Amino acid sequence: MASAKRGKILVLGVGNLLLSDEGVGVHAAREMMEMDLPPEVLVVEGGTDGFGLMHVLVEADRVILIDAVKGGGQPGSIYRFEIEDCPPFPDVFKTSVHQISILEVINLSGLIGPTPRTTIIGIEPICLEMGMELSPQVARAIPKVIRLVKEEVAASLGHSPRKLATGGSPAGGSPSDPI
Amino acid sequence: MGRRITIDPITRIEGHLKIEVEVEKGKVKNAWSSGTMARGFEALLLGKDPRDASYVTSRFCGVCFSVHQMASARALDVAFGAQVPWGGRLLRNLVMGAEYIYDHLVHFYHLSALDYIDIMAIANYKGKDSELNKVKDKVVGLVQRGDTFPLTPRYEPDEFSVNDPDVVISAVKHYLDALKMQIKAKNMGVIFGGRAPHYQSIVVGGFTQYPDINQIARFRSMLDELAGFVNEVYIPDVLAFGTGPLLPLAKGGVGGGHRNYLSYGSFELNEAGDELVFKPGVIFNLNGTKSIEIRPFEQKRVTESVHYSWYKQDKPRHPYQGAQVFDLERPDAYSFIKAPRYDNVPMEVGPLARALVDQDPTILGIMRNQGVKPGAVARHAARALETKKVVDAMYHWCDELTAAMTKPGFKIHDTDHWEPPAEGEGAGFFEPPRGALGHWIQIKDHKIANYQAVVPSTWNASPRDERGVRGQYEESLIGAPVPDPENPINVVRVIRSFDPCLACAIHLIDPKTNEILKFMVE
Repeated sequence: MASAKRGKILVLGVGNLLLSDEGVGVHAAREMMEMDLPPEVLVVEGGTDGFGLMHVLVEADRVILIDAVKGGGQPGSIYRFEIEDCPPFPDVFKTSVHQISILEVINLSGLIGPTPRTTIIGIEPICLEMGMELSPQVARAIPKVIRLVKEEVAASLGHSPRKLATGGSPAGGSPSDPI
Repeated sequence: MGRRITIDPITRIEGHLKIEVEVEKGKVKNAWSSGTMARGFEALLLGKDPRDASYVTSRFCGVCFSVHQMASARALDVAFGAQVPWGGRLLRNLVMGAEYIYDHLVHFYHLSALDYIDIMAIANYKGKDSELNKVKDKVVGLVQRGDTFPLTPRYEPDEFSVNDPDVVISAVKHYLDALKMQIKAKNMGVIFGGRAPHYQSIVVGGFTQYPDINQIARFRSMLDELAGFVNEVYIPDVLAFGTGPLLPLAKGGVGGGHRNYLSYGSFELNEAGDELVFKPGVIFNLNGTKSIEIRPFEQKRVTESVHYSWYKQDKPRHPYQGAQVFDLERPDAYSFIKAPRYDNVPMEVGPLARALVDQDPTILGIMRNQGVKPGAVARHAARALETKKVVDAMYHWCDELTAAMTKPGFKIHDTDHWEPPAEGEGAGFFEPPRGALGHWIQIKDHKIANYQAVVPSTWNASPRDERGVRGQYEESLIGAPVPDPENPINVVRVIRSFDPCLACAIHLIDPKTNEILKFMVE
């Protein structure tokens, strides 16, 4: 089943659009949906769905997940880590109110096929109050987030990151920049 | 005074439902159900264009998003005076039908079944079936790596747990098969829904996207596969468990609770709308299954009490008069969930309520012949059996849609009622997989003046009302056997049989440690 889909890269933005910065992944994914990206890339705005996203996850060979992450840094800080970098399940994700969190679903999909390599681009939130706008700190981080995602995509495709990273993104930089 | 046990959270992996029980002499004597997270997204809608409601409400919940879109669109249909053409109603039904199959399979296999089996028995499987041995190797491999999530239950197996290795291994095989099946069900919904999650296609007045004949053909072929799984695997599994090892729980009516049931009714089978898959109705105080009195549902009888909830409000109010103003100082309050009541009485909603209101002959037959009483096991059976009813209706809707498409003037949307009225109000009702869902909207100056949603888990998980009467989760726990206070597995079984879902808010990644800091890049 998966063999026919080799080379699919899924950019998945998740979060709750009604809780301000919690929706940062959704905001970033929506911007990326408007961009001209290589045909191998599928951008999905996953909302707060957990289990229900398995149908797109099993089609992907590579996942780049964009989400709000409480890592303890300044608001708007950006983290990049692999799914394996997270401490073991399931204690880590206590604050999730998904019945099953997105990272758990990615691991669960491993029971019926290969688990896609998953990198998380996380953004430190400040405001989780009810509201549909991002805080200024988090909104400012979005261009950098998109640049990082594009670099991940480029690296996965074996392209020059510069070529992809500069297209339409004000924060486009050289791959050798310390990010 | 019995011993108090707290279970928080109770959904399989995550959730914001806390259950406290007091156990005396091995049985639950008293129980409290608390929603531990503030909601109240309705406030976001005030002042917005009413047409936004179906999109915004679909963000209320990450698990059951599309059903809010449906209930919201129906409330708007009423408020706008829109007449949804048969084509639009058929498409809505097909998308919602796919949701039923998805939800019920995931609920049984992935969120509940593991409470009833001793997963470790799998290591004792001695059979030769190569596929089952693959399953055994996979699970044993996970156990050896210490990575048993998500297969291990949180509680120890008890006398009701199935530990026959052949049965356990086939259940786990079906767990894995159902993972693939739920993917198919999601993909099927996407054919007409446009995208998932958060379908775009259900709007006030009908549906946004015309179907073509190829889509219907694709939909049907996926439906064939899912129907096969429902009829040949899911229903037989549930019935084999329910009338086999779990029969004592089923006959004991463990998890029965108040015997009041409410269904709003859903899923028209004909254009006139007078034949439904699920009939609307109310049952008060069910007493046996011989003669069941069904009263008509009247929406004016719905109220919400906040006596034990963290909200400001004087007395129980109809949703049109409701508001979401928090009062964290409220004395005696213990939940963020309000207490919906019908004629001042708590109701159970969901598959068992639908089956009883429908007087479904299959479930009533099982209850009579096997002596099964309303409770946790009956709920699982009703859920499995109604999946078949929905699947059968989906074939019928595909036929109806195919026929309707070829007629001149085929419509899927009432475009004459797209603009919001200056004033208006409407109540929209739907029966999603988890039970009765109602949205109430009031419009003033073309904008939303008030909006209230009363969701299925609010009915079932409600706290006590101003008369001190327990909600249905609370009542259903009374008398549940808990021989070992360290292992309250029956409490979990009872609550999970309702398909609890309070996944209505935050979900961000929040590692316990500050480990993630070292991965900071900007």
